[in-house]
Amino acid sequence: MHFAIRYLTEYRYREPVTDNLNALRVKPATTPCQRVDDFAVRVEPETRLTQHLDYYGTTVIEFGISKPHEQLAIDVRARVVTTPAAPPPEADWEPAVTAEYAAHGGEYLLAFGAEPDDIAIDELVGLSRAATPAATLQAVTELIPDRFEYRPGVTYVGSTVEDLLTAGAGVCQDFAHLALVLLRRHGVAARYVSGYLFAPPAGDEGADSAEVDTHAWIEALIPAAEGEPVWVAADPTNRGLAGERHVKIGHGRHYSDVPPIKGVYRGGATAELEASVRMTRTDTASRTAPAAG
Amino acid sequence: MPDGYDEVFAEPGRPREHAVALAAALAELGPDALSNAGRMRDSIFMQQGITFDAGGPDADGPVRDRPFPLDLIPRIIPAAEWTDIKRGLAQRIRALNAFVDDVYHAREIVHAGIVPWELIVSRSAFARAAHGIRPPGGVYCHVSGCDLVRDADGSWKVLEDNVRTPSGISYVLENRVAMTRVLPGLFSSYRVRPVDHYPALLRGALTEVAPTTADEDATVVVWTPGPFNSAYFEHAFLARQMGVELVEASDLVVRDATCYIRTTNGLQRVHAIYRRIDDAFMDPLEFRPDSLLGVPGLMRAYRAGTVAIVNAVGTGVADDKAVYPHVPEMIRFYLNEEPILQNVQTYLMADADERHAALARLGELVVKPVDESGGKGVFIGPTASDQQIAIQADEIRRRPERWIAQELVRLSTCPTASPEGELVARHVDLRPFAVFGEDIHIVPGGLTRVALREGSMIVNSSQGGGSKDTWVLEDDAGETTRAAAPAAAWSPPELPGLRQGGEWSGQQQQQQQT
Repeated sequence: MHFAIRYLTEYRYREPVTDNLNALRVKPATTPCQRVDDFAVRVEPETRLTQHLDYYGTTVIEFGISKPHEQLAIDVRARVVTTPAAPPPEADWEPAVTAEYAAHGGEYLLAFGAEPDDIAIDELVGLSRAATPAATLQAVTELIPDRFEYRPGVTYVGSTVEDLLTAGAGVCQDFAHLALVLLRRHGVAARYVSGYLFAPPAGDEGADSAEVDTHAWIEALIPAAEGEPVWVAADPTNRGLAGERHVKIGHGRHYSDVPPIKGVYRGGATAELEASVRMTRTDTASRTAPAAG
Repeated sequence: MPDGYDEVFAEPGRPREHAVALAAALAELGPDALSNAGRMRDSIFMQQGITFDAGGPDADGPVRDRPFPLDLIPRIIPAAEWTDIKRGLAQRIRALNAFVDDVYHAREIVHAGIVPWELIVSRSAFARAAHGIRPPGGVYCHVSGCDLVRDADGSWKVLEDNVRTPSGISYVLENRVAMTRVLPGLFSSYRVRPVDHYPALLRGALTEVAPTTADEDATVVVWTPGPFNSAYFEHAFLARQMGVELVEASDLVVRDATCYIRTTNGLQRVHAIYRRIDDAFMDPLEFRPDSLLGVPGLMRAYRAGTVAIVNAVGTGVADDKAVYPHVPEMIRFYLNEEPILQNVQTYLMADADERHAALARLGELVVKPVDESGGKGVFIGPTASDQQIAIQADEIRRRPERWIAQELVRLSTCPTASPEGELVARHVDLRPFAVFGEDIHIVPGGLTRVALREGSMIVNSSQGGGSKDTWVLEDDAGETTRAAAPAAAWSPPELPGLRQGGEWSGQQQQQQQT
């Protein structure tokens, strides 16, 4: 699928602030099933942007605005082409307990910080164990939305898996974190993925354009009967494997390794945030704006 | 005399050759004079503000100042012995430095099968933000303070490495000054190598690694977390001695990948930062997002190579206690040399076989948490009750990866003055300080720490330890003391006045993914 993505973030401060420094992880990744045709970031007030790849290979765009200002706008535009991923390999558990698998999985096999020592986790691990790693991944992505309600406003950006267990509800970030804990408990390497998901609202599934949010899902390292294991993307918020509608930015062990926007500024004023992500299909027949190409 | 090695007496009443003159001088002095000298020392230290936070084992307690307890009996190291120590330390520091570089680049030591990757990436001090960054000259461990102990057979061993922000050098310098004032007579029979050139060595190293252009003078600063830090005295001391500015985070600002100090005359470029603050609190954009203590953007400037950070970011991965058992292999791997200084026999509790063996004889071993320092959480089997042993065993079974066990080293003893001026044997260790710029320089001696309680082997000053002036003797060949230490020839530059920086906002700009 072809998408035009526009991710607009606006901060308004009650009083002028200075030295507003931000790090953006918003650029779609280039992967075997994803191509970036165009990418641009504009910041208002205007400033110099620098770019580097972080430890996980995610593009980080950084900038700072030193002069006093009362508004900050970050305007990100991207054009991306996605293709479906190959079906996940099928293999039993045996190749997932080898040294080669561990070498591939690396730190995505290890617990991230202090993971919850909770009987509820043990139960979910037991319920999601299946005959193969691929079937276990499927079970995890179905079990989580079965057990937990998707409800914004219950958790916040810094919420833990324990918060999700306590509240019984959360958002994609929380679902992804729980899926990672479960998969790692099964011995399956798993990583947090940040990106964009094309998801038109219910009742208008055929729409070419949709107002969305940045989205989080996971990738699990699924062993193959022959050859190397494969990272398979799955979306525990949407009960299944991730596909062409998922546009990946980057991955890490946890949200904190790939936050879309992270910033601090000097000044006592509080900030009001308005953020929006609009995704538009640019490859559908009903497209009416030829100039857009 | 307890069994074990005594630094002064080869056997009761018979001093070692290098200590004969010292023993005679002490005998002549007598307990009353020694006790009086102790009172003079305390009043000098209190007057000069040379104090230590005696908050006790739980460092969260209120700060209570007391004079830093300098024991008046010096510890003497003969020249030949020091030569070996110095060579061994320089070798070890080169290997640790090579390891840090390797960890953040090719990880050859992992590919060679010597250090497991799991160990590296699971260290709390492993700094992903430092990945791929090579500081000027490839030097990471600019200042190190490895802890040495002398075992019962007289051999020196490395007890712990310390390549983050080791403290104690200010006491080395102040102890020497105090000793020459309080007991000048003790020096009359010895030619003791000076230590007062340390600030010049440190400043030299900072200047060497500072990324300046040809016609530019390096601006160097000391970064302290502030007056509430237990080592604040030392931060201020070093800044003053080096003639550089002592700054806090709010004095620094990063603009366009360059770090500046805020002065009354505007911004002034900073080239090198001697930071006495943990990685986690350096840059809220890269490390802890909940921390507003740092300088946002500092990692950007560091990555761009416009500022040297001393010690480099991420060095803590090398002095982690679970990495320590691998240091002898690092020396062989990176330097192709045999280690000069040996490790203490250490067992990783994460290893099932080593754990079982250690749990069976916990009462004989020392157990330490891998990611603590300053003697926190250390368990000493031989002095623990059965109940304490059982509790420790449970802790190890619960989180084995958090612990290492070590054979108990019977630390050497050194005669130490009791409050009444009597000489009593107390256990000591040694923390020599090394400075790595273009080359490695080690200040003669270092901080000898002494456990003031009888029989105790915990020497940490936060846990009731004291210190001793440490004398490295000039070579017998008669090589004379360097007449003018570089510090004497060098005068501090004029300092820019500091302007108070505004506060960073507590508002973190982050968005939840939904």
